[in-house]
Amino acid sequence: MPRRYGPYGGAFVPETLVPALDELERTWRTARRDPGFRRELRRLSETLGGRPTPLYFARNLTRRGRGAEIWLKREDLLHTGAHKFNNALGQGLLARRMGKPRLIAETGAGQHGVATAMIGAALGLTTEVYMGEVDMERQKPNVERMRLLGATVVPVRTGSRTLKDAINAALRDWIANVRTTHYLLGSAVGPFPFPAIVADFQSVIGREIRWQSVRAFGRLPDLAVACVGGGSNAIGTFRPLLRTSVELLGVEAGGRPGSVGAASLSRGRPGVLHGTYSYLLQDEEGQVRETESVSAGLDYAGVGPEHAFLHDSGRARYVAVHDRDALAAFHWVAEDEGILPALEPSHAVYAAVREARRRPKGQHIVVTLSGRGDKDLGVVTAHAAR
Amino acid sequence: MRLDSALRDARERGDPIVVPYLVVDRARHAGLSATVRALRGAGATALELGFPFSDPIADGPVLEAASDRALRGGTRWEDLRAAARAATAHLPSAAMTYANPVLRRGRERALAELASDGLSGLIVPDLSLEEAAPWRRASDRAGISLVLMAAPGGSAERVRSIATVSRGFLYVVSRYGTTGRSGTGSAVNLAPIVRAARRAAPDLPVLVGFGIRDRRTAERALDFGADGVVVGSALEEAIARDPDPESVGKWFAGLVPRPR
Repeated sequence: MPRRYGPYGGAFVPETLVPALDELERTWRTARRDPGFRRELRRLSETLGGRPTPLYFARNLTRRGRGAEIWLKREDLLHTGAHKFNNALGQGLLARRMGKPRLIAETGAGQHGVATAMIGAALGLTTEVYMGEVDMERQKPNVERMRLLGATVVPVRTGSRTLKDAINAALRDWIANVRTTHYLLGSAVGPFPFPAIVADFQSVIGREIRWQSVRAFGRLPDLAVACVGGGSNAIGTFRPLLRTSVELLGVEAGGRPGSVGAASLSRGRPGVLHGTYSYLLQDEEGQVRETESVSAGLDYAGVGPEHAFLHDSGRARYVAVHDRDALAAFHWVAEDEGILPALEPSHAVYAAVREARRRPKGQHIVVTLSGRGDKDLGVVTAHAAR
Repeated sequence: MRLDSALRDARERGDPIVVPYLVVDRARHAGLSATVRALRGAGATALELGFPFSDPIADGPVLEAASDRALRGGTRWEDLRAAARAATAHLPSAAMTYANPVLRRGRERALAELASDGLSGLIVPDLSLEEAAPWRRASDRAGISLVLMAAPGGSAERVRSIATVSRGFLYVVSRYGTTGRSGTGSAVNLAPIVRAARRAAPDLPVLVGFGIRDRRTAERALDFGADGVVVGSALEEAIARDPDPESVGKWFAGLVPRPR
């Protein structure tokens, strides 16, 4: 379990958090070797979560691409509507194992907040979710869902009032309440061991892609595509494919043309934010820049340290897709396939269709459809009206 | 005078060490010299200059707001350097900055600049012991003391390791929580931390910070065996109430603890 990925990663945190990070690492190391823990994780993944999620042949999207076949890994069908379930369940079980009665979480799009609220309810843990005011406004349905699941949603009014500031607020809460509280971080970011733990719990996506693609079309795909904000669904997709010949493509949020968007790998430089050394959108003074994306879940200035390493090493490629192209892809998936995708993976779908056009018909592309789009109806209809 | 020698001298005299923390803010630069002189007159031993950062996770609402205001007012690295040149004429000073502004500037270059501006200490609140080695090497080369932080919850062994690596002084975080007054952070007995630090580094001054806001809380820190205190949020609030250097000095004098 690496502390660093090349030069990236580490744990840049106030000293108060170090004992809690150590405890989390110890707990996780013993849990992942414990057959009882693994059985429980598997049982709840299947019976509460609905795993495995299907690998679906998107025939009409493929026709639109007129090239390689496009297959969708349907994480949107998972309980609570996104891949966030995988990590919330795993870390929730770790929190219970550590005897911590309280969960806190940050959320951008609200999907991680909903998953944490759900697992808090299922495991009987008190749950508080920090969410930027801007995100509460644009992802209203998820705010209501969290409340109905018994969680307290705490509005964050500092800074840009989005995901970055929600993480700041959650970290401050954790510093004050570290003895009784587990911080259920939702993406593959933050100080060690979080990026490693989140990648571990999300790797179920890539493991299923491996056997499902062999079963569906007789071999591994030629290309796997996933969207990258912090990068948890992407690292979960990529990691089990790292030692294969499958090409890997991460898709960041490009925002509006001319804006910085939220594309840390494409447009940032290495730096330290939220406890990890990775690519970061920052100004020349080292202050973190405000990001801009139509999708709240990708609207983050940093990115997981393992992606920084995969980027530098060339094992994965990363591109940025503009808001308007992601919105177009949202409508393609809806009208071609009858599926309402979240705006986050709509970025990945756009890039996948573009790739499909360039590739011969015999190739296979798997896109991780990380979440469903019900939460985005307000944003999408507002854009359609313009 | 350097930070190390100023703190050591005070300790040998038996004077409580009191270190005020000022947020570097371009809009306040004109009054900085007078404020630092007033703090010295009120009994300050040394000074901490806090460089604002966009995401100050160790700071509570008061310093977070001050940092935000300073950045919106256009405060830049050059302002930290100017503040250092002005302040170190009156008090030995350390810079407090989160890791990223230093890394962005280039660690070696940033440290050389701070040293040439007269600073003799560096405190990085998001630098854990595990990440400190390259920072210690670079600050040693620049002639700057890298101050590390110890906090409640860590083992005695961990406190000893931190005290061994820290230079200038050991910064003991007083409780579970961020800087400033806090409803949730609870009081902690710091005596075991101070004892562990003394065993590992008998000559290293031990200062307590986070939540020191008046003479009572300052003296409580000394009762745990510490050599002194750092005062940040409460001083920022006092300056916001009345920025006149004389008033700031008067408020600060009221906080300086009596020698034990």
